[in-house]
Amino acid sequence: MITALIQRLAQMAFVMFGISVVVFLIFFATPGSDPAARIAGRNASQETLAAVRKDFGLDRPLPIQYLGLMKRLFISQDLTSFVNRGHKVIPAVLHAAPITLSLVLGGAVLWVLGSITIGVLAAAMRGSLIDRLLMVLGLIGISMPVYWLGEMLNLVTQSRLHDTWMFSWVPPLGYKPLGTDPLGWFLTMIIPWITLAVLYIGLYGRVLRANLVEALQEDYVRTARSKGISESRVLIRHALRTSLITFVTMFGLDFGALVGGAALLTEVVFGLQGVGKLTYDALQSLDLPVIMATVMYASFFVVGANALVDLTYVLLDPRVRRR
Amino acid sequence: MTDESAVGETSTKDEPKSSPQPGASDSGRREGVHGGGQGPWITAIRKLRSDGAAMAALSLLLVITALCAAAPFYAERIAHTDPFRSSLEAEIVIDGRAVPVLEPSTVGLGLGVTPIGPTWDPRAYLLGADNQGRDVAARLLYGGRNSLLIASAATVLCLLLSAVVGLTSGFFGGVVDQILSRLMDVLWSFPIYLLAISLSIVLISKGFEIGPISITSGSLWLPIFIIGIVYVPYVARPIRGQVLSLKESEFVLAAIGLGVPSHRILLRDILPNVTTTLIVFIPLMMALNMLTESALSFLSIGVQPPDASWGTIIQDGQTLLYTRPMVALAPGIAIVLTVLGLNVLGDGLRDALDPRSKLRIGQG
Amino acid sequence: MTRNRRLFGGALCAGAMFGALWATSPAFAESLGQDSATPANLTQVADMQAGHRGGTMRLVARSAAGTIDPHINYTLQFWQVYQMLYDGLLGFKKAAGEEGFIVVPNLAEALPEPQNGGKTYVFKLRKGVKFWDGRDVTLADVVASYRRIFKVSGPTSGTFYNGIVGADKCLKSPADCTLEGGVIGDEAAGTITINLVSPDPEFFYKISVPHAAILPADAPATDSGTTAIPGTGPYMIESYDPNSQLKMVRNPYFKVWSEDAQPDGYVDEIDYDFGLTDEAEVTAVQNGEADWMFDQPPTDRLGEIGSKYQKQVYINTLTAWWYAPMNTNLAPFDNVKARQAVNYAIDRKALVNLFGGPVLASPVCQVLPPGFPGHVDYCPYTKNPGTKWTAPDIEKAKMLVKESGTAGQKVTVIVEDTAVARSIGVYLQSVLNELGYDAAMKAISPNIQFTYIQNTKNQVQMSVSQWYQDYPAASNFLHVLFSCDSFTPGSDSSVNISGFCNKGVEAKMKKALKLGITDQVAADKLWAEIDKEVTDLAPIAPLFTPKHIDFVSQRLGNFIFNAQFYWVMSQAWVK
Repeated sequence: MITALIQRLAQMAFVMFGISVVVFLIFFATPGSDPAARIAGRNASQETLAAVRKDFGLDRPLPIQYLGLMKRLFISQDLTSFVNRGHKVIPAVLHAAPITLSLVLGGAVLWVLGSITIGVLAAAMRGSLIDRLLMVLGLIGISMPVYWLGEMLNLVTQSRLHDTWMFSWVPPLGYKPLGTDPLGWFLTMIIPWITLAVLYIGLYGRVLRANLVEALQEDYVRTARSKGISESRVLIRHALRTSLITFVTMFGLDFGALVGGAALLTEVVFGLQGVGKLTYDALQSLDLPVIMATVMYASFFVVGANALVDLTYVLLDPRVRRR
Repeated sequence: MTDESAVGETSTKDEPKSSPQPGASDSGRREGVHGGGQGPWITAIRKLRSDGAAMAALSLLLVITALCAAAPFYAERIAHTDPFRSSLEAEIVIDGRAVPVLEPSTVGLGLGVTPIGPTWDPRAYLLGADNQGRDVAARLLYGGRNSLLIASAATVLCLLLSAVVGLTSGFFGGVVDQILSRLMDVLWSFPIYLLAISLSIVLISKGFEIGPISITSGSLWLPIFIIGIVYVPYVARPIRGQVLSLKESEFVLAAIGLGVPSHRILLRDILPNVTTTLIVFIPLMMALNMLTESALSFLSIGVQPPDASWGTIIQDGQTLLYTRPMVALAPGIAIVLTVLGLNVLGDGLRDALDPRSKLRIGQG
Repeated sequence: MTRNRRLFGGALCAGAMFGALWATSPAFAESLGQDSATPANLTQVADMQAGHRGGTMRLVARSAAGTIDPHINYTLQFWQVYQMLYDGLLGFKKAAGEEGFIVVPNLAEALPEPQNGGKTYVFKLRKGVKFWDGRDVTLADVVASYRRIFKVSGPTSGTFYNGIVGADKCLKSPADCTLEGGVIGDEAAGTITINLVSPDPEFFYKISVPHAAILPADAPATDSGTTAIPGTGPYMIESYDPNSQLKMVRNPYFKVWSEDAQPDGYVDEIDYDFGLTDEAEVTAVQNGEADWMFDQPPTDRLGEIGSKYQKQVYINTLTAWWYAPMNTNLAPFDNVKARQAVNYAIDRKALVNLFGGPVLASPVCQVLPPGFPGHVDYCPYTKNPGTKWTAPDIEKAKMLVKESGTAGQKVTVIVEDTAVARSIGVYLQSVLNELGYDAAMKAISPNIQFTYIQNTKNQVQMSVSQWYQDYPAASNFLHVLFSCDSFTPGSDSSVNISGFCNKGVEAKMKKALKLGITDQVAADKLWAEIDKEVTDLAPIAPLFTPKHIDFVSQRLGNFIFNAQFYWVMSQAWVK
């Protein structure tokens, strides 16, 4: 057990190392990525450029630069941005993390509850009008680009119908910390939560329904039925568990990625300065230190989430004893 | 899936002949499988034909495909427009009046220029114009070709790879599983946007050669490969999870015990059970792929201006959201319809191919 | 300079025509009247202060603009803010319209007379001015600040301030910069003497920009990044987080020493928030949640802003340009006929529409913007060549392409990844295709695009860029953008993007620069000729001159637009 854990941790470290190298290489392979001119300022003289290059260690060989970057990121933790000079990267990421967590946790709660409800309902009433309607709604949700949906909701709630009783409660865009303004925090996050959840509800609801319908034909379910257990109990107690394998797997992948900053478009549209927005801005300006920090942050959560999901397989399906 | 040749090899007295079920007993399995003595494929097609919803979905998809294929015809003969040429100074005639396609505002300070809205006349600007004065309806049809092509190819690629990876990883376990799983981790946490931005800048002036294939930034293979590969973990991991579960089922253990070669077990016993998942994922991946493709086009990878795809038209519509929402809405609706059709058809297909469903139908 | 907020400069406008152009804007009437324009007498100021003092102003922008160090930051966004935070020996008058170009004494008591044939200026330092940490401004601070410009390798150290004696040594080894013989403080007389290598008619402008702000002598000799350095203005920086907010409050030690150079502000606090998209910013200002947005409103909101909110809109002309540099050293644009063809074929009216309509931009065919010194209306690239652009001449363009023999070649246009630039890029691609080329369009991130198109290694054939004036001199457009000196192959800093280097034109420009020392009027005439020549050789395709929109909240009053640094923030009130 312990050896498996250590092994897994070592693999995680290896994955993160691999990604850091890839990011580094991609950055320097990109023409126009040389930060010296952008740091020095427009129309800077060639001497100024050279001075800047020396200052930032950009004239050293790549492996040395890589090691220097990693050292400042993990060991001395004083890595600073190329674009916002002097601005420490790690505190910036840590400052942005709770915002992303607020968005993702709330959205996840919504989509998990929503999709389980939809999936179970649709499976229970399979073939009926409600089943078809739910599936259509779900598919519409999947097909909507997140940025478009966010802008449309902003258009309606902040602009066109902002003064009506329906949406006058919507606060101005921008994050309000939970500690200082809990009500404001909640009201601000409602619309972003819905935006984030809409895509996934359709996806997960659909997958869950399909797995449930299949599970309901299993023999162990027939056994349960023949034992006299009610249909709903059969559905929820027996069929649901094994159907959740796919559900949980996908959830691990999505949740891990989202916490790491994959919700960047949602954050941008709603003015939430989370890790996703940080990543987005860094990519736009090819700010290597911030890109590296956010990618490391993201990959940590992705591999961590996947590790946790593997653990839950044992809980969900008792037949899976070993990995 | 039923496969008569497999019956003789894998069956024992207690062994189900066709798609085995995890932990299933064999009650009721054997009858009804080879019902009328016809081949399984013919039975499947028959079943599909009798499924009303699936047929409707199939027709919908055929109509969409036909419309998109007829894009040049529509553009040249009916709408008389070149949807790839900016026509910022054009005028059209509505009710006898000449109306500029891009109309500067005359209200208040006279700020802003608004493209013409939907005229609902197929002969000119049916769905209105975008901010380059191009006919949105014509671009929608042309765009459908690119979207359907890229999304379908990417989906096929993705599902193929996912099946291979998921099955191998789940079934063989051990080191193979660990290596493949970690590879999936790397892939899933890979910064795709960084790669795309980098690639788009690298490919600005030159392409790169892989053997005989020359890849430039406009090559559609780029988004197909990128999208197809990026989503592999998303499908492979659930499949792996299912396979892990299936591996412990009695019939598989029995087959292993009998010494049946692994690839046979994979193909004959496990794969059929994960097809449901695969089929369910088809329309979902199509939708996700079409949207991801638009993000890549925005970064100049794949569909380049002035070419269109449903995703790029949505991007164009973003800047017109407050004045001409139809530009972003129309391709969105197109995507929904396509995905819906695939969904219903997929359900029907799965029902048709899955002999268990015969039981369902027979026993209600 | 460019408008790119991240790393590059702001816009300083000038010109006699400016006032007239501004006066014709529809919002002019709103900004005049008893609430606007810096009043001349102090009792009026006192009244206004009493009536409107106080409150918190909220400003929004999509993102911050990098370092907060005034000697390094070269963006319009922060130069606008520095006006109320930092002061130099001289400054631009904080007035509306034409008056905003006038250089007035700031920390110096008076404008010095040129001595020694224009090579020496003696400034008397004002007494009693304090930094916002309470310390007095001394001669040592002034001398140290000028040295610091070189120590931190400021972007203009080699271009604006290289004329100071001793600057050449400082540029070679910035760390031990002494500016010996260049900037000398005399404690007894309380004066600073600045010696120049040769007379420079633009010198006063150069020391009025934030790059020559006076900072405490102990300011760090490196880029201060996100740590604010104390200044002398009516406001001080309380905190700066580039990912969320720049917070400014009143400088408790500030006393007005010159109403023209640095008047007191009305609001008590200014919160400059970052992070909203431009659509969200418009909505925030409409809802009264923000008082002003930095970014230009997206084109699909212009209609509603111009109609429903027209009382809150101010439109002002800029001496700036959108233009399309063509690489004169690469096919097909190494052929002058091809370049001229492009100029004839572009429908500038269509481009104006893409930008937001004729109220917001005007077509141009030449280099110097209207209202600029040396500008004489000239437009050869239109259906009826003369002084104004009327319509494109596609037939002539196609003929020129044929003559050049470049038809069928591949061309790539590189633009910024913003909505307007993209749409212009798509349009240009369409025009090029019509002319018979095989055109493609690529959009890259605005932060990267400007350096990317400068570097010849990237072999950029055609791009779309903007240029805003640093100060009112024709050389700022013609010499900076088209001199052989500004072309450095293989470097990210080669602002002569088209790679234009013509011996005849170069000689003329040097002549005009020399002439400007003694006779600016004659020099301007020469610049007009140069403008014509460069326009005819078409290394670039001029597109249009933009106007600037300021969209403010309902409660914001006393909006003053200074052509130099745009909206004078400290002079607006919210109560």
